[in-house]
Amino acid sequence: MEFWTGAFGVTKMRTMPSALADGYDVFVQDAINAEAMGFDAYGAPEHHFTYDGFLPFPLQALSAAAAKTSTIRLVTGAMLETLYDPLEAAEHAATLDVLSGGRVVLGLGMGYRPLEFDGIGTAKSTRGARLRESMEVLRLATTHDTFSHDGDHYRYDDVSLRPTPVQRPVAMWLCGGTTEAAARRAGTAGLPYWLANSPFERVKVIVDEYRKAGREAGWPDEQLKVAAFKDIFLGETMAEAEMMRQVMIDSFYEEHILGYGYLVDDEGKHVYNPTPDHPMYRRFLDSLFCGTVGETVEELKRYADLGVEAVFIPSIQREIISTQIMPEFK
Amino acid sequence: MRVGLSWDLDGDDAGAAWEHVAGEAVAADGLGYDSIWVSESRDDATSCPSPVLWLTNLARQTNTVQLRATRRVTRANPVRVAEELAVLDVFSRGRAGLAFAAASEQGVPAAQVHETLEFVTHAWAVDEFRYRGDFVRFPSHTPDDAPRGVTTPQPGGTYVPQWDWGPVTPDFLAITPKPYNARPPAYAEIGDDETLAWAATRGVSPLVVADTPTAEAIERLIRYREIADAEGRVRAEIEPVLERRIVMDGRGDEFRFGGGSSELIDEIRALAAQTAIAHLVWRRSSPADGDLLRFASEVQPMLQA
Repeated sequence: MEFWTGAFGVTKMRTMPSALADGYDVFVQDAINAEAMGFDAYGAPEHHFTYDGFLPFPLQALSAAAAKTSTIRLVTGAMLETLYDPLEAAEHAATLDVLSGGRVVLGLGMGYRPLEFDGIGTAKSTRGARLRESMEVLRLATTHDTFSHDGDHYRYDDVSLRPTPVQRPVAMWLCGGTTEAAARRAGTAGLPYWLANSPFERVKVIVDEYRKAGREAGWPDEQLKVAAFKDIFLGETMAEAEMMRQVMIDSFYEEHILGYGYLVDDEGKHVYNPTPDHPMYRRFLDSLFCGTVGETVEELKRYADLGVEAVFIPSIQREIISTQIMPEFK
Repeated sequence: MRVGLSWDLDGDDAGAAWEHVAGEAVAADGLGYDSIWVSESRDDATSCPSPVLWLTNLARQTNTVQLRATRRVTRANPVRVAEELAVLDVFSRGRAGLAFAAASEQGVPAAQVHETLEFVTHAWAVDEFRYRGDFVRFPSHTPDDAPRGVTTPQPGGTYVPQWDWGPVTPDFLAITPKPYNARPPAYAEIGDDETLAWAATRGVSPLVVADTPTAEAIERLIRYREIADAEGRVRAEIEPVLERRIVMDGRGDEFRFGGGSSELIDEIRALAAQTAIAHLVWRRSSPADGDLLRFASEVQPMLQA
């Protein structure tokens, strides 16, 4: 199982004041450190119009990281693909793929914040279908010298992607959250699936649903790949680990995960600012794994046994993870 | 006068072509060149459709050289143009600048370029705003009866933190992050008369690119200067840029400067006196055009004083 890691958004956090430019320096240094520690990929996310200057273009930040690293793969997690023209996204990906010598991995999400769709100028209501169609355009663009596509949302006639990426196709994952409906759609389309944070029991349900849909659609098992975001908080005791988790809740999750409708209930409805006793809040807390090194190894082995190919862990406590946990999986 | 570099991107192998350019860019940074310019293009196997992405990579390989991207309005979303340049400016700690290619080159109305440039520069400078133009509308639900151009919200009301907004599409939005500099340099290629007059009137710095004959470039830059002066623009606020091909120890022609170091110095200084250019960009076709070290030693210092 691979270990991926990355930044929370290269923001100017209220609770940790610093210059944004310093944060960008840290981002690049962080990628260098992650490479040295043996992580397989380093990632950056995307959001727009936020008060804290959240990174709006993950491939651009990864381009900076590419200049100072040589082997670690550069992963978007998630790039909000529905806010791009697919051919334009392919151009960006190809550009970074050339600059980095073929190290790009696209984690592609459909977005969920209404103001982002309104600000960029694209429809939120069709985002699911557009994401899947967009990934087909990306596949065509990065595998054919010239291609045409006539879909429900995008049309291209005899166009060529310049430059040609090193990878053909560029590696792609659909970042689809943890609803069963999204997992079924990804499985049916045969797209590699990257789950959001969730308790393991929920992850297993989603992965089973994804693979079942994929097999029913006739896709071979090797195409039905799974990755997962896995936020981990370590301590010598559970109390210590939970304290680490609380730091991240106070400084990041309370705003970026709970506040913008990121959480989606079982009926597919967005949950905004849930109270602490809300079931979705409880489920979210449960998705943030707290434990000792030994407990974390056990937890991650369940992911490995499930066939999860990569876990994306947050940008804290990496040294412990790289020295005490990752060797158990190599 | 500032001196920068730009490049023709030739060949079949983008990796090799870009690596050569990156090598020269890093060398230029060390030799004291002032800027490197990359244009958005899609014509050839080695074209770069994402100049800002490439310049962000180069920003981390250089220390002082200014980074200039020439964009087209035909495919880029203006919101993203503003965001990308701001991110480059932060990554490079204030070395980013943005130019727009001529409308005639892109096959779009000149007004589309003007609107996009106006939108982007406001996006860098103001917080919540909306924009209504013929080609740009931000946020997209901005109504037809909104005032033209930029408007900002009325003062007052209760402040609500953004994360408490819920599922809303606000009438006014801030584009973030903001650039490192309050006002990154912005340029318009004055390849059409409409843009020339618009840029001179507004104090937008003009850019004349290498495929314009030198005589025409001089005429355009002089005309720009006359309009800008008549409008009362302060010369210090404007940075006229001329891109030229240069062949050291070779023969010049209607597009190129040629000659030994002293001849190049004389030719460029005479042209600067005529046009008030503040920035010369050496468009390089191949290393055979001239040695970067020699130009930086023999010519560039003489253009600065």
